[in-house]
Amino acid sequence: MKILKSWLNDWINLDNISDDELSNALESLGFEIEYYKQITPNYKNIVVGKVIDLYQHPNADKVRVTKVDVGSKVYEIVCGAWNFDKGAVVPVALPKSKIKDDFLIDERDIRGVKSNGMICSASELDLWDDHDGILILDDLEKIGSDFSTVYDSHDSIWEIGVTPNRGDCMSHLGIARELSNYFNLKLIDNFKEINPKIKPVLKVNSGTGKKCTSYQSIEIENIKIDDSSLTIKHRLSSVGVRIINNVVDYTNYVLHDIGQPLHAFDRDKLFGTISVRNAKEDEELITLDNQKRALDKTDLIITDNNNPIALAGVMGGFDTEVTADTKNLLIESAYFDKVSIMKTSRKLNLISDASIRFERGIDRNIQTFGLHRFIHLFEDSDDITYSDIQNDTKDFDNKSNIKFNKNMIRDVLGIEIDDKFISKTLTSLDIPHTLNDDTIEFSSPSWRYDLERPIDIIEELAKHYGFNNFPSTLPVGNKLNNVGNYWKVRKFFINKLSNLSFHEIQTLSFIDESLNQIFNPELKSVNVINPIDKTQESMRTNLYSTLINTFIFNLDKHSYSGKYFEVNNTYDKASHSKYKSIPNQNYKLGILIPKKITDNNDQEYTIQDLASTLRMLLPKVQFSKLSKPGFHKNNSFLITVNDSPIGHMGQLSYATQHQLNINEDIFLAEINLEALEFNSLISYDYKPLSQYPFIKFDLSFKVPENLISQDLIEEVINLLKNNENQISIFDDYTNEKSRNLGIRIITRSYEKTYNDQESTEILNSVVDYLTKKFSITLNEKVD
Amino acid sequence: MPELNFDKVFASLDLRIGEISNIDQFDEISKEFLGKSSLISEERKKLSSLSNEDKKNYGMKLTEATEFITSKINEQRQLFLNSQFSVQEEAEIADISIDWKPLRGSYKHVLSTVMEEVVSIFSSIGYEVAYGPEAETSWHNFDALNTPDWHPARYESDTLYLDKNLETLLRTQTSTVQIRHMEENDPPVYIVAPGRVFRSDQLDATHSPVFHQLEGLAIDKNLTFTDLKGTLEFFVKEFFGSDVETKFIPHFFPFTEPSAEVLVKWQNGEWLEILGCGMVDPNVLSNVSYPDTYKGFAWGVGIERLAMLRYNIDHIKNFYENDIRFLEQF
Repeated sequence: MKILKSWLNDWINLDNISDDELSNALESLGFEIEYYKQITPNYKNIVVGKVIDLYQHPNADKVRVTKVDVGSKVYEIVCGAWNFDKGAVVPVALPKSKIKDDFLIDERDIRGVKSNGMICSASELDLWDDHDGILILDDLEKIGSDFSTVYDSHDSIWEIGVTPNRGDCMSHLGIARELSNYFNLKLIDNFKEINPKIKPVLKVNSGTGKKCTSYQSIEIENIKIDDSSLTIKHRLSSVGVRIINNVVDYTNYVLHDIGQPLHAFDRDKLFGTISVRNAKEDEELITLDNQKRALDKTDLIITDNNNPIALAGVMGGFDTEVTADTKNLLIESAYFDKVSIMKTSRKLNLISDASIRFERGIDRNIQTFGLHRFIHLFEDSDDITYSDIQNDTKDFDNKSNIKFNKNMIRDVLGIEIDDKFISKTLTSLDIPHTLNDDTIEFSSPSWRYDLERPIDIIEELAKHYGFNNFPSTLPVGNKLNNVGNYWKVRKFFINKLSNLSFHEIQTLSFIDESLNQIFNPELKSVNVINPIDKTQESMRTNLYSTLINTFIFNLDKHSYSGKYFEVNNTYDKASHSKYKSIPNQNYKLGILIPKKITDNNDQEYTIQDLASTLRMLLPKVQFSKLSKPGFHKNNSFLITVNDSPIGHMGQLSYATQHQLNINEDIFLAEINLEALEFNSLISYDYKPLSQYPFIKFDLSFKVPENLISQDLIEEVINLLKNNENQISIFDDYTNEKSRNLGIRIITRSYEKTYNDQESTEILNSVVDYLTKKFSITLNEKVD
Repeated sequence: MPELNFDKVFASLDLRIGEISNIDQFDEISKEFLGKSSLISEERKKLSSLSNEDKKNYGMKLTEATEFITSKINEQRQLFLNSQFSVQEEAEIADISIDWKPLRGSYKHVLSTVMEEVVSIFSSIGYEVAYGPEAETSWHNFDALNTPDWHPARYESDTLYLDKNLETLLRTQTSTVQIRHMEENDPPVYIVAPGRVFRSDQLDATHSPVFHQLEGLAIDKNLTFTDLKGTLEFFVKEFFGSDVETKFIPHFFPFTEPSAEVLVKWQNGEWLEILGCGMVDPNVLSNVSYPDTYKGFAWGVGIERLAMLRYNIDHIKNFYENDIRFLEQF
């Protein structure tokens, strides 16, 4: 919302308050400053002139030549606007003057006629948007006087954020009221009586429903639809309101002045009784913007003789609008229910200055004042003929007083606030209250909707005390350096993988449904019913797809990609394991290793690298073959730790690879992190270090294709379980005839140094055992 | 008895050492001056024919000469080696500005880095990490947090819903974890909850349908507004530096009262919003049936915002596009 300093000055005397002080006050009171600007127009060499002659340009149809008297001299000026005649008093930018945007005006030749300056429009002088022609000034302005004496637009403007609970601050009056306490200045009482001369013609009531508690109107006869005064035009355009005509401008003015939306009807287009009710199903109304609106029971409407004429608080009707030909008016000033206006305005996507104020709640007791302000905007209100105000106001639920113990203030805020401060603050905010020894009793004024509970008054006191005037204290919680299992597990995996040159990625949780189908056809996807992008309405059921997408994205873009991992949720339609009414969600780790990370010759990764990575993360991990959609027939494994399945790993199937247009093999793993305990991740089985020398054998066996080398290793470890062992595979080579597996055994006794004979015995026992157990044959003794 | 002219021997040793061009020649010299057929060894053979007195005196002189020669050779050998190494090093000039195998950062996503740092700051003053679901009920996301059903935040233009009755949604704020945690745990509560939140926004420079918040909640007996101020000032100083200025300005959130926004003064003098906070609204505590002897405060901070400020990142899109050029910078 925009506010002008000059306008605030109508309500509170800010003459001795600098802009900086005002900015600080606004911010301290909770009005975030989005924008601030000093308006300092540059009116040098712009003077008041009178058009004393006017004739057609000899060489151009669309422009005229004028002779303009500026007192000291008469200038010949070419002008393209047609909205004035001989005798008009106008602003003239003389040669060497600057107008809006520092545009320089100088003598120039326009099709053979020398033009000595320019006759200006309001927008050229940066006053308001007006493209209808030049600005016509009052005939009484002194010819030759500087334009700044006609209209001094020096001002300051703020655009501020008003929080949704403070509808009462959506006007200059509302802001002034808050400032009055801050600066200890009294609000100016702008109440003036009106002097009605006629009787109203129409009957008016607020209807039988509860959604309109007050409907008031005033009728004005023989009105002249005209321009508003310079001040009103300038103020309205400064706060972002479009200038229309005096009647519409003045209704807008009252809204920004005191927060009461008004609506002007052409009285001659209304019949019978004006009332308020909910629309019926299938009722229609053409609104001011000439759109036919289908109404329903939730919409509140204004009717004449029961026919819809306006959408209450949201937009007027096309058929009853004020036009240039309007003679007689009915001005509406009403109170409508917040929620009802909000629903209609959102449903029809019609958001206006009026609807915004109604939906936040306007003052329940300001409707009459609104009509008074309207009448007094006419420069001489005695010159217009208007009726008395018709007022149908229902009793609204007067909120009862609320009483609470003063200790509550200290309990919430942590400091003592003395009675003097409390009393002064509540008084200047017009909040009725009584202070007793131990208690405070208060009720809320008609414009406040945010004062229903003790905490609301405590907040008010804290705000006016100034948040930055509070001391600071630092409490220490009960979980000192104890972040808990969830965070420790997450950090464990992220640190390990990122230190191994895996890039951690963060991808959106939405995915194309077809990608969910590749990997999890057995799961039903969770869908967003109002997705941002229709092709991404599913929530991902796995982390594989987004890992693959990232791999492809970088490879395509840079011919260079990487190894990736992501720690995030997957979702599916099954019910949640712990909570009612929400879909299943699992917190998972996904890993991707590509065969090659660049297009060029490079290190090649295999599925063994992925298995090694998993063993590094989870030393007790076990793999067992498990086929899975989207994965390689053989190279696809269930991951278990301590016999509990926790995930899956494998190679992307060639079909999927082909479908996704990937040239390289891709290795993927996904682990559910929810079941993992941090303490088990960092529990290690320590083996003492033997003090004796090692013996080493490299053995090569002819083995079957499907032999799992880990089984071989485990048997050796079992056989030598009393020793310290390092058993590894050093070769796995398949030629046309057979698969040959090289196993390296390094073993140490805890008790002695082996002699040659003992070494040979151990070697023979291992070979004998393995060849029998696995039906394999020893190729040769390599060592 | 004619004694060996030691000075002559030593002079000849110096001469021989001066001629050395190869490290192995030291062994030859050693053999020449101290070996079996050296002058010194020859003299030693003669000792047996001397009187006891002379044997002792001359023997001592020969030993001294032997030690002198040995140490001289060793010393010169070391000097020779050192000068050789010096020449070798002189010739070896590595251009370490060449990055043959670039290793950049820890490859941790910058959002994780920032989240871990924020968590560790709060962990140091007694907060644990809580975790809650991302697909939530509307009740946990709105009603329990004192946000009535007509509130604008609930419109479909802002919130992503998962069913036609608008009963489940993707949480729009990590404040849901406050409710989940309090439903399952008795007070006192000191938690932070980092996590994903969702809004109906297209991914562009300043918006993302997915972003991260860290929610904080402290509920205990005797917690007040000054505790809220002190806690968040501590956080800001730990994260941005102890000399950074902060201010609190009033704000509105449905689930806290009083509510505030915390601003920090940036290098260019501009005040920037960092987080929203407030005293937990009594309605929220009664929604989870906490006794009214407990009070507290809560706050929410945008992780992307912290990361963007700290590292001058200009586009929120960068966090979710995972361009490897971006990932490798942190």
